Amino acid sequence: MYTNEEINLITLSSFSLPYEINKKLLSEFSSANPDFKKYESFLIKTFSQGVYNKVTGDYCEPSYRVKILRELEKKGINCVTYFSEEYPETLRNIKDSPVVLYCKGDISLLKSRCFSIVGSRRTLPKILNSCKKISGELSQEFTIVTGLAEGADSKAIEGALENGGKVISVLANGLDHIYPACNAGLLRKVAQSGLVVTEHLPQEKPRPYYFPIRNRIIAGLSVGTLVVSAGAKSGAAITADYANDYGRDVFAFPYCTDVSSGEGCNELIKNGASLTRNVLDIFAEYGLDLKGRKKIELTESEKIVYELIKKSGEAFLPEITNKLNKSVAEIMPVIMSLTIKGLVAGIGGNRYSVIQ
Amino acid sequence: MLSKITSFALNGLEGVPVDVETDINKGMVSFDLVGLPDTAVKESKERVRSAIKNSAFRFPVSKITINLAPADIKKEGALFDLSLAISILKASGQLSGETDFVFLGELALDGSLRPVAGLLPVLISAKNKGFKRFIVPFGNANEASYIEGTEVYALSSLRDAADFLNGEKQFAAVEHRSFNQVQSRRAYNCDLSLVRGQKVAKRALEIAVAGGHNILFSGPPGTGKTMLARCIPTIMPDLTFDEALEVTKIHSVSGELSEDGIVSLRPFRTPHHTASTVSLCGGGNTRIRAGEISKAHKGVLYLDELPEYNRHTLESLRQPLEDKVITVTRAGGAVTFPADFILCASMNPCPCGNSGSQTSECTCTPAQIRNYRSKISGPLLDRIDLQVEVDGVKYDDLASDTVEENSASVKERVERARAIQRERFADEDMSVNANMGERQIKKYCRLSYQSEEILKNAFNSLHLSARGRSRIIKVARTIADLDYSEEIKPEHILEAVSYRNLDFK
Repeated sequence: MYTNEEINLITLSSFSLPYEINKKLLSEFSSANPDFKKYESFLIKTFSQGVYNKVTGDYCEPSYRVKILRELEKKGINCVTYFSEEYPETLRNIKDSPVVLYCKGDISLLKSRCFSIVGSRRTLPKILNSCKKISGELSQEFTIVTGLAEGADSKAIEGALENGGKVISVLANGLDHIYPACNAGLLRKVAQSGLVVTEHLPQEKPRPYYFPIRNRIIAGLSVGTLVVSAGAKSGAAITADYANDYGRDVFAFPYCTDVSSGEGCNELIKNGASLTRNVLDIFAEYGLDLKGRKKIELTESEKIVYELIKKSGEAFLPEITNKLNKSVAEIMPVIMSLTIKGLVAGIGGNRYSVIQ
Repeated sequence: MLSKITSFALNGLEGVPVDVETDINKGMVSFDLVGLPDTAVKESKERVRSAIKNSAFRFPVSKITINLAPADIKKEGALFDLSLAISILKASGQLSGETDFVFLGELALDGSLRPVAGLLPVLISAKNKGFKRFIVPFGNANEASYIEGTEVYALSSLRDAADFLNGEKQFAAVEHRSFNQVQSRRAYNCDLSLVRGQKVAKRALEIAVAGGHNILFSGPPGTGKTMLARCIPTIMPDLTFDEALEVTKIHSVSGELSEDGIVSLRPFRTPHHTASTVSLCGGGNTRIRAGEISKAHKGVLYLDELPEYNRHTLESLRQPLEDKVITVTRAGGAVTFPADFILCASMNPCPCGNSGSQTSECTCTPAQIRNYRSKISGPLLDRIDLQVEVDGVKYDDLASDTVEENSASVKERVERARAIQRERFADEDMSVNANMGERQIKKYCRLSYQSEEILKNAFNSLHLSARGRSRIIKVARTIADLDYSEEIKPEHILEAVSYRNLDFK
């Protein structure tokens, strides 16, 4: 089970002090009997006498420690602390590393080679398809790190899981809660085959200001971060900023200038992020090669339609029928077949785009 | 003196014979009406009194008792006015002739006859019960002219009726009219050729009508969803006479008949999204009335902005969509109305309406879109076989002068596909593919190994819900019928899959 040092940190973490303060107290709490006096004025000034009393009173109380450990065990939560062997070096190196990670799933993934994919909740359908695809391909070589939000995050998780890849999902709330609720199924799958991580106590509810803070863990865990979409003021851009601060690679999809959900990406590229068209751009950076790319057999008519859509990136179905001088009844099956083969996808309003 | 004549009451769409018995006695002057009359019937006392007086007859100054038998059926409406007046005239000796007629009609104070609602169903029921001769208001003549084997006299006043019965005046019975004549005179005022572009939606419409499938359009506002829906009746096969009678019965009871007296075009009903459950399904306390879904019988029920409807109201459609009839049950009794319609619904793809639009960006979050779509329950969506995206129309499309196919040629293909289906279901209790149950699907929709494989791949890669499977196969069957193909080919399956796009993830 846990070493004493680890239990010290788990106990410290149970007081829900802000993460900067936990980090500050870190060195002190490695010993069994910390010198609270040294921090007395600091803690009282920052919080209150009550908090200080609780911390000093409960910290050394064996029954309190037993209680919190038992509760975590009952919920099936594994704790990985700053002093644990499983704690990843990537995270230890950053200046505000979390003291305790509450985990559900395979904690060995923390030490695997991780790559994060982040994006906005309002990502264009076309980009969502690309996000899903690139996540699947990246998961061949990396563990995919992301959040659990709808939109880009969910697609990244789906893409990786469907390709048998591993996923770490970093939450901005405790493990008792599921946010957003609609992704409960996805969360369960991640916990089964991958890992769900948070720095918050299980009972902690999601709060708006937890999300930007959470992003430092996503960036910190990964060797690189791909931003698939980001508005002007987006959480995804914050993650990229963290990655930049920590000296990790930042990748971004390029956008046409009139797309508001791509402003952040273009800004990142302007400031030096690597422009990413497909997975090869990322793999090249790490000297990797895409393996087992399946050769998809196409019929003659499928080839024609595919090329036609590819030429302009996306195509309106009536335009295709007009150009090829065929009826909807003839073209629809071909497009559907291409969709099933994963080459194109509907993006609404009878428009179809090639999945990059 | 005592008199006894016959009239009819309405119970749902059925006519029930009612004996009107009048007894005039000496005693305190009074006028009593018994036998469960409703307010409108009770009020007819006053109308009858004035009408008799103003038709130059004498209203008897004695004790008058009128009984409507059988006494346990609630009598409603102004249907009985004429029979009450005739029966009083007869009892008071002012009428000597034969009264072997069924009397129906409302009286005005000056003694003229006003048309009544629900005459057609009464005539049909009465004819089936062996009644042959009728006296009805002149305004109902057209309605009555389609029923063969009856002798209907359409008269314009109480005086005429009395003179006719007394043999003082002669009137000719209403001439029988053929349905085809009327039908050929009427035409829908929209046509598919007026809808620009929208190839996918038009193709889907053709499939929907050919197989009797329900259809849902999703697309940005102002792209012609309503116009497309209005074209559905124009590509449906013409109403047969029997169908027309069935529809007319319902419209007649609601008093919504045009001057033709028969519904010759397929109905197109568009209840607003504030419609209540009762207005849609039918109901009412004393007299149970047909709702919009029954008025759309053999036609189209169009629900614009589907997610805006009251959820409870939408759920109530589930059972009639399966059974094609609705039984409205109240404490006073139960009435079954037919409700065999094609449901056409439309919705925006998201609350802001711009999702999937080429020109404007959607500003909705996934949660908002999900909330919007979740207003339509899975079971209801399940009963809508075709879910189609409508193109955002560009100005170029509207301005282009390409010739669009007109409704008549689409209708031809639809009729051929329907003929194939009639032949297929000759031994079954159905006529279109959409009504197939699991047993019929197994029997008539065998898939080749190749088609089966493709369907499996589609389910895996598009994450379709399993309950959509039989829907897809039914639609594929219709597409194959339109293609004159005995076998369901892979391309039919693929096209059918593409019309489930709300299911895609």
